[in-house]
Amino acid sequence: MTTLRAFTCDDLFKFNNINLDPLTETYGIPFYLQYLAHWPEYFIVSEAPGGELMGYIMGKAEGSVAREEWHGHVTALSVAPEFRRLGLAAKLMEMLEEISERKGGFFVDLFVRVSNQVAVNMYKQLGYSVYRTVIEYYSASNGEPDEDAYDMRKALSRDTERKSIIPIPHPVRPEDIE
Amino acid sequence: MAIQQADKLLKKHKDLHCAKVLKAIGLQRTGKQDEAFSLAQEVATLEPTDDNSLQALTILYREMHHPELVTKLYEAAVKKVPLSEEYHSHLFMAYARVGEYKKMQQAGMALYKIVPKNPYYFWSVMSLVMQAISAQDEKLAQTMFLPLAERMVEKMVKEEKIEAEAEVQLYFMILERLGKCVEALDVVRGPLGEKLTSELRSRENKCMMMYQRLQLWPECNALSYKLLLKNPDDWQFYLSYFDSLFHLMDKSWSQPEEGEHCVEGPVQTTVAEAVKFVVDRMEEQDKKESRPLRGPYLACLELIHRLRQRGCPDEKELGDPLELMVQFFGKFGDKPCCITDLKIYLHLLPPEQRSQFKNHLGELVPLGEAGEDGFGFPGDTKALQRHLCVCQLSRALGLQHALDTEGKLRLITELKAHYHYGLQFGKSCLKTELQFSDMYCLMAAHVYIDLWTETGDENMLWQSLGVLEEGLSFSPSNAQFKLLLLLLFCRLGAFQPVVDLYSSLDAKHVQHDTIGYLLTRYAGSLGQFAAASQSCNFSLRFFHSNQKDTSEYIIQAYKYGAFEKIPEFIAFRTRLNQSLHFAQVRTERMLLDLYTEADVTLSLEESVKAMGVCPEEDDIPWDNMRDNRDLTVLVSWDPKDRELTEEHRRLSLEEESVWLKVRSLTLRLLASLALLGHAPSPRNSDKTNENGISVKSSTLQTLLSQLDQTLETAAQITEKQTQYPFLGPPSSRLATALSSGSCHCQASALQLSLTLRELETTGLDDSSELQTQICNAFKSSVAQLQEMLSRCKGEVLEMKDGRLTTRPSLLETLVFFVETVCVLLWVASYSASVLRPLKSSLQKKKKKKKDSSTAMPVVLCGFQEWTGSLQGVVTQALDHVKGQEASLTALKLAALTLEEGYSQTQEECGFTRAAMDKVQSSYLGSLQELGDLLRKRADLLKSLKI
Repeated sequence: MTTLRAFTCDDLFKFNNINLDPLTETYGIPFYLQYLAHWPEYFIVSEAPGGELMGYIMGKAEGSVAREEWHGHVTALSVAPEFRRLGLAAKLMEMLEEISERKGGFFVDLFVRVSNQVAVNMYKQLGYSVYRTVIEYYSASNGEPDEDAYDMRKALSRDTERKSIIPIPHPVRPEDIE
Repeated sequence: MAIQQADKLLKKHKDLHCAKVLKAIGLQRTGKQDEAFSLAQEVATLEPTDDNSLQALTILYREMHHPELVTKLYEAAVKKVPLSEEYHSHLFMAYARVGEYKKMQQAGMALYKIVPKNPYYFWSVMSLVMQAISAQDEKLAQTMFLPLAERMVEKMVKEEKIEAEAEVQLYFMILERLGKCVEALDVVRGPLGEKLTSELRSRENKCMMMYQRLQLWPECNALSYKLLLKNPDDWQFYLSYFDSLFHLMDKSWSQPEEGEHCVEGPVQTTVAEAVKFVVDRMEEQDKKESRPLRGPYLACLELIHRLRQRGCPDEKELGDPLELMVQFFGKFGDKPCCITDLKIYLHLLPPEQRSQFKNHLGELVPLGEAGEDGFGFPGDTKALQRHLCVCQLSRALGLQHALDTEGKLRLITELKAHYHYGLQFGKSCLKTELQFSDMYCLMAAHVYIDLWTETGDENMLWQSLGVLEEGLSFSPSNAQFKLLLLLLFCRLGAFQPVVDLYSSLDAKHVQHDTIGYLLTRYAGSLGQFAAASQSCNFSLRFFHSNQKDTSEYIIQAYKYGAFEKIPEFIAFRTRLNQSLHFAQVRTERMLLDLYTEADVTLSLEESVKAMGVCPEEDDIPWDNMRDNRDLTVLVSWDPKDRELTEEHRRLSLEEESVWLKVRSLTLRLLASLALLGHAPSPRNSDKTNENGISVKSSTLQTLLSQLDQTLETAAQITEKQTQYPFLGPPSSRLATALSSGSCHCQASALQLSLTLRELETTGLDDSSELQTQICNAFKSSVAQLQEMLSRCKGEVLEMKDGRLTTRPSLLETLVFFVETVCVLLWVASYSASVLRPLKSSLQKKKKKKKDSSTAMPVVLCGFQEWTGSLQGVVTQALDHVKGQEASLTALKLAALTLEEGYSQTQEECGFTRAAMDKVQSSYLGSLQELGDLLRKRADLLKSLKI
């Protein structure tokens, strides 16, 4: 049970319980403002009855329509530890997919650390599959090695033949992705 | 490199504007601000019209924080190339960057006239809205700007020229701000509303907003009902459903006899209907195969709560809250959020039912056979979560607080046993994941803290640290462990371990504003000056980039037509600029620089000038201060009467503001002292102070009286002795500052500088009264300082009867002492500068008269005596610090026997010991820094001669 609403600047002052998670990046203000200015509908937060923020999703629409690469992208999805196991992430993903459907996207994609098994499995359950591996996509902090990402995709109804999700067998480098 | 390349180009093409600007950018980035600026201005005055130069200049001016110059640039460019769409659009954006709304409105229209594209027209409309929002005079907004904006949009509507969703949104925004809700509703519901498609439920949300504003409760009710049928988990609509229902009941609204009574569908007007609605929703969930939603069950509790508030007996229809909560626990007890959900409704239970409730829940927790210690353990993570939830609830019900010391100790043993037992479920957890049983560990720490605050037994605090350190070793990314450890170390006066803890939280950007206070409150006050300075810098870097950053995205919002976001971004920027924390770090950083550096590397005067402190100027928004601190970042399951309240927040902000005022006045006073020009001596009266910067003594006088007033307010605040919840905001430094005597000692020292200034004008003859006054002030300042030092005496860390006790307040007091020594030194240095010429002219006179019989004026003797005594006190202080260092080093913590067995295992003792070592070493670090600074100040004091 949660209130789903548009993320606003004021939420940046309240999202510590979500963002103090080691796998959730806190970006600079420009990054959030860019998303709010360009894709406000793709930035959704859920709030508990007590006013605590539970989790949020931040995404965008991008890619060429002509090349059938117009798609929704999940930039960040995070749920505070105490609000996990409620299916909230799935709900937020569902909303992002619906917005992408409305915009006529061919698919939705996202990047996830290969080590983040919990997330990878969740996305698989939601119908996502690994499209390709991106080598050393996540730059390391504090001495750990760089980490690979899975580029995972789910076809939307516009991609009737599900062409967008046919996996690429060879891993690619970050500079090769668009 | 870039500069060289640009130079090469310039050799070939002497007047290549762009190369000059690129060179200027190079210069700017290598720190040659002035050169860069004059080179840029050279190009700018030529009013270039090539795109490259213009863009490069735009970048440069932005980096140099001169966005207003970009407008001049493009104003010139559009004059020369009047039909350029590009330059006009750049001009619009340049105005947007500096918030010139009126000019934006004109620039937008000019653009539209050249190229009739809709966005340009609406940029102009939005600029009118911004004029309305920023207008001081609300009447002007309502009668001029907004109606004009409305007419502009209406014109497009009539001509059927509306194209984009953004345009409809803007129309809605205008109508809403005009209070024309009916019209706004018509737009949303009408054909224009069909364009509102990007955001999910955009039309419904906007309708709901208008229904509430118009108090159209039937529509509000029917729409909420409809939306809840679709998504019975969306909490906001339960609230609007209940709100509207009760409004309708209060108005005894009844359905019209004929026709459709509400465009949104059926309306519910009785409690019976609401009860049925909620019960139906619950049954729907009960029947579901898939995971049930929490919404309907919580809505049931919410409805009981509201009925009870209204004194409505019908709540019984919904059932007994105790039963309902037990059922809720049965369904959702294995979810970590169960406690957060139920906590809001615990007040529905009468106090006498609390234990009963807990026992009921206990029956729903499957635990294994109890072992030797009497504890049974859960067999899987779901059972663990249930058991944990019962513990959390019993804490929230106040049952844990009601236990006596024995009971609490036994509770801790139980929590720790569950914690250790639960670790087996998380053996395969990654470093980035939390352990399932982490919260037991945190709760054990909380109960230790309860015991410590109740009994004052410091052992409890040490054990709390131990258990958290242990927790962190198994769950290295648990932010709650780190936060609580951080807080405990700070309370113990040990800042060193905090640096690593905080940095491992990886707090960045806006988090510096929300949780940066955890660091900055303590670093400086505990004498860790280097760390303090660094923590201030983290925060300052964030705040300084804010202004530039936000402006760019306001422009982006225009480009993408996210008009609703524009006022939001501006409000956000203002909120950051008015942040309490920003003002604090700004002030503290400068004070720190003065206390640690002034007169060591640069003179006080040079330091003040380098910082650009202007004593007459107050740049702190006292009346609009925003408290952006996240004061609930530490998890708490405390009962309601122990939780942070709005009143606590208000008091904490008040206290911090007054303390900030003391600090900011001190800073401005020190700046005045540094810039206090000497009184014009009769002989060279026309000679002005070098650099032309000087401060009048009246400024100092004004600031001093402000400081006096502030200190009076401060005394009243500290008298209240406000206690905040342990996990809430830390108390400010105000109380210690006052009790240490530093504020008053500093104030009277600064007052003394004014009296000396008077002497400067009067001269040594005929000023015996003034001189006596000064000498008395000298003496009393020494006495005050001596008194302060006596308050620093005592052992900061001591081993007594096999126990370790700390007195961190001694450290804080010592810091205030050192700060006061600095202030006295600067006043002494000013005094010397006043007395030196007086003395030499006296000597000249003496020589002339060959008169050696006249006695030295009292003030000169007094000064020598004064600096001597000050040196004496500082030497005593240095001895004290040395003594403390020695006894700390001699303290062998290993000799301490920690009680094993009942309360702590050997391993836990290890963690506790590690924490103790950290505290000991941090104290040493603080003392060393304080000692070093004090030594520097002592040397300077010795060199003061007249």
